[in-house]
Amino acid sequence: MSENSRKDSTPPPDLSKEREEMLRSFRRNAALTERFMDEYARMRSRLLEVEGENEGLRARLGSPEGEPRGHAGAPPSRAKLATEDVDARFAELEEEFAHLASLFVAGNQLHAALTTRSVVRRIRDVLGQLIGAQAYALYFLSSDGTELAPITSEGVPTERLQRMPIQSSRFGEVLKAHKACIEEEHAVNEVNWEAPPALIPLVAEERAVGLIAIYGLLAQKERFTRTDFELFRLLGEHTGPALIGASLFEQSGHRLPGAEVIYSAAL
Amino acid sequence: MPEYSCLVVEDSPMMRQLLVFALGRLKNLRVTEADDGVDGLRKLAAARYDIILTDINMPIMDGLKLVKRVRSDPNHKDTPIVIITTEGAGEDRQRALQLGANAYITKPIQAPQVIATVKELLRIE
Repeated sequence: MSENSRKDSTPPPDLSKEREEMLRSFRRNAALTERFMDEYARMRSRLLEVEGENEGLRARLGSPEGEPRGHAGAPPSRAKLATEDVDARFAELEEEFAHLASLFVAGNQLHAALTTRSVVRRIRDVLGQLIGAQAYALYFLSSDGTELAPITSEGVPTERLQRMPIQSSRFGEVLKAHKACIEEEHAVNEVNWEAPPALIPLVAEERAVGLIAIYGLLAQKERFTRTDFELFRLLGEHTGPALIGASLFEQSGHRLPGAEVIYSAAL
Repeated sequence: MPEYSCLVVEDSPMMRQLLVFALGRLKNLRVTEADDGVDGLRKLAAARYDIILTDINMPIMDGLKLVKRVRSDPNHKDTPIVIITTEGAGEDRQRALQLGANAYITKPIQAPQVIATVKELLRIE
């Protein structure tokens, strides 16, 4: 067998495990996406029901057979209260829709790229555009596992973007604990270099591989929202595998694995 | 019910997908995507659109140049344009409005704001 044909069908042994990990990560993401889509379909259907109820109530309010319209000083009618209730539920559904859309898009996009540059760009989009981070940095673990090295950042002065030893540092503690450290009580729209309001460890196959530090949000956003907390979880679980997968793909010279490789790795 | 067409010009795939998701709530709106200003112009030359949503900061051709080009084209001089900017980009926003944009949306984008702006410009009930 020639060298070329061997390359086409059999991956180097050291890549097999990484490919398997990458595929497992893709499958997990597909399942997550499916879950979001189901939830989205359920919410859409509920939204249509609520819109139907709202239409009915509005029709009753406008029709002569409907309940009499309230006048100044009179207590609100049952129909008015019901309409307010429907409006409140509609607003809740809108919020839920936006929440699910952000999660779906972030998860979907993180694994939709196979070059490191594209993956990094998508991570930046999640941090800047969805979470509204004003200053942040993404660090990855050095190959000897002793330091965190900055990969990309926004709004962080160069002198603060240093390689950081894992030993005896707050970043290192978060990394070892595999547990995000997030400010939940105080406003986070001012940059805090000493105690970043969000430190998210990046984990791949139960190994810590990096960390995202958010130093402050945009002025108009005071606190982290429910969606942000879900996005932190998503970033923590998916950033590492997405970066590793893209990096391996580039290292392999953008060679796509054949069906044989996928089949043997899936067994 | 009349059908409307919308062109979304945005270089970030993530933001584009979010916009398409939000606009998908308007059942009678058909959405076409473009990666940047040049791609946007190419699509505008090939079809008629009822509304354009464009980011400002894009490679190759930014949103400001796109607004200028669209407004100087007799076929699209009256097409409503919505620009998407960051909260701090007041100057860009002003410049775009002076060049002929009709409205703006600030990032991070909120689906209800996107829908309300589009419905208002297209006069959809």
